[in-house]
Amino acid sequence: MSQVNRLARGGRIDRSRPLSFTFNGQTYQGHAGDTLASALLANGVDVVNRSFKYSLPRGIVTAGAEEPNAVVQLGASEASQVPNVRATQQALYKGLVARSTNGWPSVQRDLMGVVGKLGGKLMPPGFYYKTFMAPASLWMTYEKYIRKSAGLGRSSTESDPDIYDHQHRHCDVLVIGAGPAGLAAALAAGRSGARVILCDEQEELGGCLLATPELLDDEPAEKWLSAVTAELSELANVTVLPRTTANGYHDHHFVTLHERRTDHLADTAPRVNGRRQSRGRMHHVRADRVILATGAHERPLVYAGNDVPGNLLAGAVSTYIRRYGVIPGQKLVLSTSNDHAYRAALDWAEQGKDARREVVAIVDARANPAGELVEQARRLGIRVITGSAVIEAKGTNRVSAARVAKIDLEGFRVTGSVEDLSCDTIASSGGYSPVIHLASHTGARPSWNDRILGFVPSLVKGVSAAGGASGTYPLPEVLADGREAGLQAASSCGFEAATIELPRVDVLSEGEACALYQVPHEKPTLRAPKQFVDLQNDVTAAGIEIATREGFESIEHVKRYTAMGFGTDQGKLGNINGMAIAARCLKRSIPEVGTTVFRPNYTPVTFGAIAGRHCKELFDPERYTALHDWHVERGAEFEVVGQWMRPWYYPQQDRRGANGKRESMSEAVARECRAVREKVGILDASTLGKIDIQGADAREFLGRIYTNKWEKLAVGKCRYGLMCKDDGMVTDDGVTACLAENHFVMTTTTGGAAAILEWLELWHQTEWPELDVSFTSVTDHWATMTITGPESRRLLAEISDIDLDRDSFKFMDWREGRVADVPARVFRISFTGELTYEINVQAHFAMHVWKTLFSHGEKYGLTPYGTETMHVLRAEKGFIIVGQDTDGSVTPEDLGMQWAIGYDKPFPWIGKRALTRSDTRRENRKQLVGLKPKDPTVVLQEGAQIVFDPKASIPMPMVGHVTSSYYSPTLEAGFALAVVKGGQNRMGETVYMPMADGTTHEAEIVSPIFVDPKGERQNV
Amino acid sequence: MSNPSSVNLFDSRADLSMAESPLAFSMSRRNVPAAGADSRVVLRERPFLGHLILRGGAIVLDEAVREELGINLPGRPQGLTLDASGERSIQWLSPDEWLLIVPGGEEFDLEGRLRQRLGDASFAIVNVSGGQTLLELEGEAARELLMKSVVYDVHPDHFPAGKGVTTVFAKTSTILRRPSDTRWELVVRRSFADYCLRWLLDAGEEYAIGVET
Repeated sequence: MSQVNRLARGGRIDRSRPLSFTFNGQTYQGHAGDTLASALLANGVDVVNRSFKYSLPRGIVTAGAEEPNAVVQLGASEASQVPNVRATQQALYKGLVARSTNGWPSVQRDLMGVVGKLGGKLMPPGFYYKTFMAPASLWMTYEKYIRKSAGLGRSSTESDPDIYDHQHRHCDVLVIGAGPAGLAAALAAGRSGARVILCDEQEELGGCLLATPELLDDEPAEKWLSAVTAELSELANVTVLPRTTANGYHDHHFVTLHERRTDHLADTAPRVNGRRQSRGRMHHVRADRVILATGAHERPLVYAGNDVPGNLLAGAVSTYIRRYGVIPGQKLVLSTSNDHAYRAALDWAEQGKDARREVVAIVDARANPAGELVEQARRLGIRVITGSAVIEAKGTNRVSAARVAKIDLEGFRVTGSVEDLSCDTIASSGGYSPVIHLASHTGARPSWNDRILGFVPSLVKGVSAAGGASGTYPLPEVLADGREAGLQAASSCGFEAATIELPRVDVLSEGEACALYQVPHEKPTLRAPKQFVDLQNDVTAAGIEIATREGFESIEHVKRYTAMGFGTDQGKLGNINGMAIAARCLKRSIPEVGTTVFRPNYTPVTFGAIAGRHCKELFDPERYTALHDWHVERGAEFEVVGQWMRPWYYPQQDRRGANGKRESMSEAVARECRAVREKVGILDASTLGKIDIQGADAREFLGRIYTNKWEKLAVGKCRYGLMCKDDGMVTDDGVTACLAENHFVMTTTTGGAAAILEWLELWHQTEWPELDVSFTSVTDHWATMTITGPESRRLLAEISDIDLDRDSFKFMDWREGRVADVPARVFRISFTGELTYEINVQAHFAMHVWKTLFSHGEKYGLTPYGTETMHVLRAEKGFIIVGQDTDGSVTPEDLGMQWAIGYDKPFPWIGKRALTRSDTRRENRKQLVGLKPKDPTVVLQEGAQIVFDPKASIPMPMVGHVTSSYYSPTLEAGFALAVVKGGQNRMGETVYMPMADGTTHEAEIVSPIFVDPKGERQNV
Repeated sequence: MSNPSSVNLFDSRADLSMAESPLAFSMSRRNVPAAGADSRVVLRERPFLGHLILRGGAIVLDEAVREELGINLPGRPQGLTLDASGERSIQWLSPDEWLLIVPGGEEFDLEGRLRQRLGDASFAIVNVSGGQTLLELEGEAARELLMKSVVYDVHPDHFPAGKGVTTVFAKTSTILRRPSDTRWELVVRRSFADYCLRWLLDAGEEYAIGVET
């Protein structure tokens, strides 16, 4: 198909550079400088989509971000799919492939069309709520089909081949929008010396200047535009970002700008010098002052059949003609409430003359329009029908006629006979709405302005609006407004205002517009053919009227009931009309009805741009210990613990398990457990939090923060400590060593390290600043290697100068010395119940020590073990893991740790008072116990709910749950830790765990210490 | 204990022949690009330096630091001062916290000397040399690379030489400092160093980042 609607001359397209592209499987040609929309219009493509609810054919309506219909699915391959792209904003490139978003199975002829035709009666507003809510069980089924038929694009099922990134930017003045106001503002602020960022969502800077007929200093706007753009690009303090949408305005002038860096070039981002470049970039901008120069959107009129392809905004018609050299039809009827829209008809008449295009009539709702543009139209011989409007568009896949009648604006009725004008295009204009979306994101409610018949933004401190965004429309005023905003912003940032000469613009005087939103029809709204308010969500004037009749008086309720302003559209085109209709039905004024809140994002943002590089291996920080390389070499499986990559277990590569395959986890864990209990194992415990505590009051502070006593802990000794929050619930535990009289090192759980340091600082800084104590994290400074098992002493003795004699280096002592020639602090503490030495060395030297241990360890059967084995071994001893066996509702007494509570300490430690509350004192609290399954082959499920009576009726009274459960190679049986109501007094009783599959496990309540209850093995 | 004072002074540094830098794993395993003629930013690790955290009142610490190192303790927030050789530096971290970086091996003696000068004053000194490493960035694109990595404003008007901050780096944090107009330094925690390197190499790809060893 040739470009039937392409003009021979004019526009900013490059006719010497044809570009072929594919839409819905068919190949077309456009030109460099086209958008997908202008190229489709040039090719005479009328239907670009099917509507959301009624599945009616829809065509291109606008030329910008507010486009509700031409929302396409972009991408030449499955991997490069991008949903929700507005064809009006997508630059054309060679080989572009796009499809309609809606229209299952095809946009021209579809199944839903049938429903759509009947839909008028079948699908009133609130249709989904009313029809599909019952029976609730079927909702999932309905939803699948509703989504499929409605569908607003889909994301790719494959991995995205492109990358996206983020950049943090800071500036004095952020100018959003590079039309005349934004350019003047940026120039003024930039010349004053402020750091300026100017962004614009379009392919080129200029906004309306790219299509205006007005002369600046007697020259086409193009000339001033290129001079300003050139100057801005040369100012070192100004950053210009085209193809960049300010998508969200967040707190404190934090604005996110979505830059599309390669979307105009190709299907996926081309490489530069063989290196990847990001397809999209999200700029995280923190600005001191923000100028909204976002312009205004033209409002369409609401009349019957206004959704038939061929109904366009008047301004869009001008833009297609002047900027893209495309005239989107043969015969035009313009329906307007204002002078400005006359330009569409004038452009059509003048530029389309050679192509034999015709303006059938201008239908003006005003009785006596008299501005200069009106006179121009009359001089050209265009028929101007006054006091009238297009009340209905006829046609199915394209407009075939406009029905025109005299109307009574005040009385909202048709007063004269109806004339049918044959045409294929209806342009309409009901005035202009300042683009207040970003201001709305800040929470500021806009206010209605009767002069411009639109909402103007309310502004939080530090924000200003200039030009169309503030309801200022004549070009000279827009330029002056922008300059003023730029100068003020710069001077409020402390810069001296520069002088800026603005170009002289002679404007044609325009007459006053009239207020017209919904055009009356001969029939009442509820019986007239559909008059669409929100084209994207298929919301009609009748829908809004029904909503108000059903009692929805708040505009927010009307919005939710009808879905007006939902979706990618965010009400750009339809919201004001919708409010006006609601106001008419409720017999209120528009400001009384108010507006709904526009929310981010202004236009859709791809997930990729939101994620940036925080994906795949950069998704989350991976923390490595100094021994990570060794673990990887050894083939360890890793477990993520609070961002740390901890060896989980070490399956032996060269060892076949019982089933002839590589060792399974349970086989590896059993082997590792036996090695510790029988010989010696080694664990990389470097991830435990370590906090260095110094100061004359360090000991006093420990006594207040821990539940147990610290005043008598001697230098050279270690003690287990239990920490509660002020609610008396256990929050952390670990061993703290007394290094010197005023010097301690505290260990915390791996995941709790950062939070506990903050907890200590919080109490010190806010409650006890008088205490002389300070805390510094040394987690990363020290690497910790735990050797444990009966052979650990003999192994360590080989490579250490420390006296390891059992009587001089006792359990819960620490000593310093050298291990493998490296200075080390060695702690004799145990999390396995076996003879254990925790060797701490400066992390840089850890690998040397670790490897030296292995070079000496083979004869003792030294075996590396991971976190899983650590868990089994500690559970066999009844040692808890905070966060696994506790959940923020467990007191030290619930854990049976009365021995770790110093009720008689002189200073009331954190949590003490809470432990005297009636709830924490009551008998029947869930308490930590051991569970011994009746069937030793059973390993209970962690999290399984516990009941006393498995025959009780459902819902059974639940009395606790399993917190830790493993198979013990030592016991040759499954065993578990659990919390059970009153469990400490129920030893020997039987409890039951009914499982989801219908089976019920039985277990006996026993002591949580399964191995070596007297602790003899660790004291050897 | 061998040390009779109220804190345990312990020299944890061993002979460097037994040491492995925090980035050893990534440097040996990853395809780390070497700096070349087209590299618009160059990255260098300066491992095994002496890192000490000083806590206490500024006035007391200032005197001791001046006497031992001949440089002022930066009293203002975000200050960074270097000695004449540029090898020793002290950086403000928080109202009662400073980071002292000295050539590797000097830290233990320095800690002892500072403790002696500070006597009974209320203060703390903690050796964290094993827990962090220093990365240097140089090149025309260094600032742009930082803009992709840290939240803080690195514009020269806002971040002149002689400034240092603690800021968000990707999904972790870093100490960022600018000892001279041409050089940026990141002090990163050992366990996060691989992640930081990975991030910088990825973000620096478009600037042909290269690593100098």
